[in-house]
Order: sequence, then C-alpha cells, then structure tokens
Amino acid sequence: MPVYTFRIQRNWKTDQGTLESHYRDYTLDVSATTTVLLALEEIKSQQDGTLTFRQSCRSAICGSCAMKISGRTRLACKTHVGEVARDGVIVLAPMANQPVIKDLVVDIGPFYKKVHQIRPYLDDGPEKAHTLDKSAYDQVNHVTQCIMCGCCYSDCTMLEVSDDFVGPAALAKAFRVVSDPREGQKTARLQELSEPSMMWSCSRCAMCVESCPKDVKPMEAIVKLRTRGMAKGFVDGPGAKHALAFHTDIQKWGDLNEFTLLQRTVGIMGAVAELGTAWHLLKKGKIPSPIPHTAQGVEELRKIYQLLEDNPIDVETKAKEVVPE
Amino acid sequence: MRNHDLIIVGAGLAGMRAALEGVKAGIDVAIISKIHPLRSHSCAAQGGINAAINPKDSRESHTFDTVKGADYIGDEDAIQLMCQEAPEAILEMDRMGTPFSRLEGGLIAQRPFGGASFDRTCYAADRTGQVLLHTLWEQLIKAGVTVYEECSVLRLVTDVEGHVAGVVVYDIKTGEVFPARSKGILMATGGYGRVFFSNTNATTNTGDGMALALRAGAPLADMEFVQFHPTGLLTTGILVTEGARGEGGYLINVDGDRFMGKYAPKKLELASRDVVSRAEQTEIMEGRGRNGAVFLDLRHLGAEKILERLPQIRQLAIDLEGVDPIHDPLPIRPTAHYSMGGIRTDKFGASPLPGLYAAGEAACVSVHGANRLGGNSLLDAIVFGKISGQHVSQYVKQQGSQRDFPMDALVEVKGRISSLKRGQGMRAPELHTRMAQALNLHCGVFRTPEGMATMAAMIPSLRAEYARVSVQDQSDIFNVDLLRTWELGNMLDLVECIAKGALARQESRGAHSRTDFPNRDDQNWRKHSISHWDANKGEVVLSYEAIRTLGLPEYEPMVRSY
Repeated sequence: MPVYTFRIQRNWKTDQGTLESHYRDYTLDVSATTTVLLALEEIKSQQDGTLTFRQSCRSAICGSCAMKISGRTRLACKTHVGEVARDGVIVLAPMANQPVIKDLVVDIGPFYKKVHQIRPYLDDGPEKAHTLDKSAYDQVNHVTQCIMCGCCYSDCTMLEVSDDFVGPAALAKAFRVVSDPREGQKTARLQELSEPSMMWSCSRCAMCVESCPKDVKPMEAIVKLRTRGMAKGFVDGPGAKHALAFHTDIQKWGDLNEFTLLQRTVGIMGAVAELGTAWHLLKKGKIPSPIPHTAQGVEELRKIYQLLEDNPIDVETKAKEVVPE
Repeated sequence: MRNHDLIIVGAGLAGMRAALEGVKAGIDVAIISKIHPLRSHSCAAQGGINAAINPKDSRESHTFDTVKGADYIGDEDAIQLMCQEAPEAILEMDRMGTPFSRLEGGLIAQRPFGGASFDRTCYAADRTGQVLLHTLWEQLIKAGVTVYEECSVLRLVTDVEGHVAGVVVYDIKTGEVFPARSKGILMATGGYGRVFFSNTNATTNTGDGMALALRAGAPLADMEFVQFHPTGLLTTGILVTEGARGEGGYLINVDGDRFMGKYAPKKLELASRDVVSRAEQTEIMEGRGRNGAVFLDLRHLGAEKILERLPQIRQLAIDLEGVDPIHDPLPIRPTAHYSMGGIRTDKFGASPLPGLYAAGEAACVSVHGANRLGGNSLLDAIVFGKISGQHVSQYVKQQGSQRDFPMDALVEVKGRISSLKRGQGMRAPELHTRMAQALNLHCGVFRTPEGMATMAAMIPSLRAEYARVSVQDQSDIFNVDLLRTWELGNMLDLVECIAKGALARQESRGAHSRTDFPNRDDQNWRKHSISHWDANKGEVVLSYEAIRTLGLPEYEPMVRSY
C-alpha cells in the first residue's frame, strides 16, 4: 500500500484565548480508496489521540465531517485519499469563513444562525396549496438533499469578503421553503430575500455548486429565487436593478453601456460615492465611452429576445431535467 | 443551576418529536445532545416508514405483521398502539413539511419492505430519515426549543426518594461540567450499534442513554436481540437500504445463484431481516461467498430506476465500495444494525424509574421484540416520541417544585474525568476494538454456547483494563479522546447485558440464533430478559418479565415462515 503524508493544520486555544496554529505531518500506509475520515480515525487511534475532528455517520448523510481537503471543502467520509493526494501529500485544514475551535473543528454557530435567519420552516398563510400532485416536489428535490454540512459556506467567495452574506446553504433552504406548494408566505419571503445580504449578494461564482457533496446546487436555487422575486415586483434593490440594466442594454444595444450601469444599479448618489474610483479609472484610461455601442448583428439578438418573450423558458422546470449521470 | 421542567436527552427523531409535545403542553423543555440535531443518526435511515394509509391496507394487518416479525415477543399493546397511530403520525409529518415521494393524484407513495404483507412503506426517495429529521428540526426552530448542542450527559441523577432529579452535563465545546435539574427526563439517545466491530451505525451510537438509565437503577430489556441488517457494505458496514430489495434487487452468491429460494421460498429477498441475514451467513460459511460477503444485484433494475429510486445508495456504493451497482453486484454481508433492546418502558414510554421516560431505539417499549421489521424504526421513533412526549409532559405538570439535586453526583463525575485523564493503561480505541471484535465473533448472527460463555467471561478483564484506560488529550476544549473513553465505559455495561442475556436465553428467536437451541421455545422463553445493575456486586444481573399480550387468537405464536 502507498504511504501518504497527511499534513494537518493543528489549532488550539492558548490560555490567553488566542489561537495557535501550525501544520503537522502524519504518515500512513493506506490504499488509495481509503476515505480521508478512515485515515483520520487511524491517525487518532494509533498515532495521536489529541487530533480532533467532527464525524458521525461515516456515510455522507449527517454532515459532520466537512473540512478543507487539499484546498477544497469536502466531506472526509466520502473523499478517497487517492483522489486528493498531490505527490502523496494530503493537506487538511478546518473549514473557512467560520471561527476555529480546535484542530479541524470550527464553531458552527454563525453558520446555523444564518440558516435560522431565513426562517427555515413552512408557514401558514394565504398562498398555501391544499392539494399536491406527483410533481409537487420536483422543484425541491435537489435542495432537500441538503444536509447542512457547510461545505458551500466554507468555500463561498462572497463570504470571504462579506460576513453579512447569509450564504448559499441558507438560501438553498429558503428556496426549499418558497418552492413548497404548502408554503403560505411565498411572496413575503421573496420580499425578505430581496433585502441586502440575502439572495442578491451572491456573485454567482458557482463555487457552492462545485463544493456541494449532495448535489444541492445552491447557486441555481439562488438564481431561481431572484427570478421569482423580480416576477413578484421586488425590483428596487441594487441587485435587481443591475440585472434589469443588463437586460435592457443587451436587448437594446446588444452590448453593455458600462458608463451608466453603475448609476442605474446604485442610483445617482451611489454613483457619486464612487467618484474617487472613477478618477483612478480615468487616469488609467479605463472609463468606458458614455455613447452606447451597438453590437454587430443586434437585429439577430433582438429576434432571439422576441422569440424568448413569446415562448418563455420556464425556469421552474430546470430541476427536472437535471438527472445525476 | 439550570432548571427545566423536562430534559430530553438526544435530538434525533424521537427526541425532537417529543420536544414538540412538551412545547404544546406549555412546559419548559430543553434538549441536550452530544451532536447538533441534524447530525443525529435518524438521518441515515434510508428506506422508509410504515403506515397503513392505503384504504386497501389495514392497521390490523400492520399489527399482525409486526407481532409476527417480532417473533412473538413484542408487547402487543404497544404494537397495536403504534400501528393504530401510524397513519396520523405520517400525515402530521407530511403537514409539517416532509417531502414524501408522491403518486399520481398526490397520495404518498409506498414501497414493499421485508416481512410486510402490503406495500406500506412510505418514503422520500432513499433518504426518508434525513427528510424527516430535517422536518422536525425545522419545527424545533419554529417552536424555539432550547437545545444544548454538543453537550454530553454523563450522569442521570436521582434524589433520595429515587426519583429523577436531573443530569450532569459535560459541555464538549468548553469542558465545563454542570448540573441541570428537571422534573422529568426522556431518554432518546438511540441505539448501541458501536459495540459491534462491524456495524452500520454512526460512531456516536454508543447507547449512552441506556447505560445512564441502567446505572441510575432503571431496567433494560431484551438486550440480546440485536438486528443484523442483511445488506451492510463489505468494507465499511455502511447500510444499503432494504428498499434496494424492495425495488426488486436480488441476493446472489459467488456462483451467481439467487439463493433466497432455499431459505424463504415465498418472500425470497423480502423475508424478515433475521431470516435473510442467516441465509447470507450460511452461504458465506458454506463457502459460497467471497471475502466474507455475498452480493446484492441491482443490475436488472436498469440505470433509470436505480437513479430515480436509489440515487444516494448508488453514490455511496461508488464512494465507499468502488462499485457502481448499475454495472456490478455489490458485495454485502450481515452487519450489526439495530438494538431491539433498550430501556424498559410501558406503552406510554414510562420506565419503572420514577420520572424517567424513554423513546425510539433507546427504549424497549417493546414493539420490535426479537426482530424489527424494516420501516418500523422511524415509525417507532415518531409515534413513541409523540406519545411519550405527551405523557412525560403531563407527568411533569403534576410534579411540584424541582427535586433536590445531590451535588455529590457532580463531584463524582468531575473526579471520574480527572482519573480517566490520569490513567496509565491502554487507550480506548484499542480496548474498544478488542471488545467489539469479540462481540462480533461470539454474539453475531449465529451464536454458540462456547462463544457466548467466552464473551461473558471476558467482561471482568475488559472492565479491569478499562479501570486503567489512558487518555492522550488532556485539554478541556473539544476533547473527543476523553469523550470516547467515557463512552466506552457505557458500552462495556451494555456488552455485559448482551452477553449475559444471550447466554441465558436457551432458545432461538428472531435475531438471537443459537446453534445448540435452534428452535423457538414458547413454553419457557416467551418472556423479556431484564438487565439490572447490581451496584453491590458491580455487575449486571438478569430477571424475566412476562410479555404484554392482548389475548387475541390471531396473535398466538405460530411457525414463522416467509
């Protein structure tokens, strides 16, 4: 069996309450198909009882053992050593975007607080359906696979720069609630989700889709939430305005009018606040032309738009088509 | 001092379902759980939950199947109650938001399961437990129930009158040891699968609640009955749902023969779990297995059905066994799965210890008797979570003020933690392996008198070793090393109950299958084994208790063939 090196970030609180951190190497003879969790258990039981990580079910359903494995957040119990070793080395670290408690264990409190923030349960109300058919949950089949492991939260590039963002898992849960025919407050929820730090704060980088071990596709859920929010008339926030500005420009010119995009997204005062940035851009010759540029073949594009408006693609059916390979 | 009217230990289906009843009754209820509620092992139940919701089915039929499945040692009043309450319990979960799979027209879909005379297992693809667990967690948040997350209960404390007074809690996150007082306690801590070396269970399934109850003076019942699931994955023991056979999967041996025809000519792969596990073990022992396994063959179901109905299973097989069941048969073997035994209760969840209730796998109500039917464990957790929650809430309301909490319990626990940290012997993982391997060998699918005697005789030496056990991690913060060492002590108590109960029971019934007494003996053994902790002797002693029957002719014991 090959010998692997497990380079593990050890973290511990000092008596002063600060966090000390260093990497320690452990070597282990295991087959390439051994899971990282099994390897960790082996190290803990045979080499170092102080090594600490969360785990429980061993079968990718409880969500305990999410950690950074060779740079990406994964569940240790469903990741094979051989898949993630680089030159025989596997690097393990705690999840990101969360305070570290010890070694590979993070404080899951802030993550769950945000999930609680979206009110993760069905509410009674006027929009509640009282009959269901076979396809009632087609929309939520992906998102109900969520096990709240936090992989998406840890790898979210938006959370890296903004602590306030509610995060992909909470939004996927919000989508699960909004999409349930039995939910009674769909519109009120969409309004709340249109507030700052909610669904419009996602940058659609797709890291959450990549990281999710359960094929939840949080970003797709976020995109659908946005579409539904706009359909309900929640278009006053910068996110929705930005999307509408894109829409208008492409339809009209086939190209973005970046000169006015900012003002249309954040308003006149918002744009004034960015004058400093504009000055830097101007110095570098990066200010786009204020005169809208018409793209070549824009007639063709307008026809496509017209066709789509006459025959709207039902974004609600997207989930059905996605079948695991 | 923290005070609550009711403390529920464990946040799986039973614990959370009970907590909602506490809220409804208007009492102050708190849950203490050593893991976050969503990490509870209820989430791993895949296949489904039984209820006679189809008009062509009947609650009586469900009751009959369960009485028979239990090999006539279940308590009939409790079985009847569970099957009566099942449809409403499912519909409640549905109303709370569980996304059950549906049929055309919107009815909840049902699939066939082993030992059932009707296709009555409701499901949500192959992650029924997970969606039920998440639904109850949602309701827990909605109701604002206090949860002590990542806190382990180390002692169940009684007052001078022998009534429960509270618990001693260990906060895993900080190492703080603190008392919590309550007028009633509900144990919903799940099963003890980890006492076996090869098991389908989470690493956290160490049977803590049962051991706590035992040491506090409550009796445990039928601990020798441990279900071996017919389809644990060869390498890890991870569960492959019975739903895989429900959907039409075959069991084949190394020659490709579908062998169940020899053992259960009518029900074949969907015979009761104990029957199927023995059949597999026989094939393996007679040389028709490979590497100690036979095979679950799903290939003929086709990719489409596997992807629609068993998507998670397929992914697990690929991730953990490196086999894609669309193309190849899966190597599987009987694997310790479920504890039929547990804290002895009446049909309302009350144990003989005043103020102590239990529900779910931690309890022995007893609805599963000697063998649990697939799809009845989630049901047990939901129905008796609800019922025991109602009853303990009413009980608590009738109590006056809080009991006196004997503070020496706190001192004792702190002292025990210090002495564990000072131990000089072998570490817990090694001792656990020694214990669990022996139990697998001696108290497995087939049990010999020599094996069981060997196991029972090993207990004092295991205890002696445990008295010197050492802990490497000396810290206060998230000390899993210490926690697991403590849990091993709990498991030792339970192993003693299993080994002694098994050795004493001179018959074969359900999951307890003896080579020297191959037949069921209703004359002498249609009774519950009860384990007690004898503090003076420092060991487990046995007694027996009659089963609760309804006196109906249809439930009289008969030959159990499938």
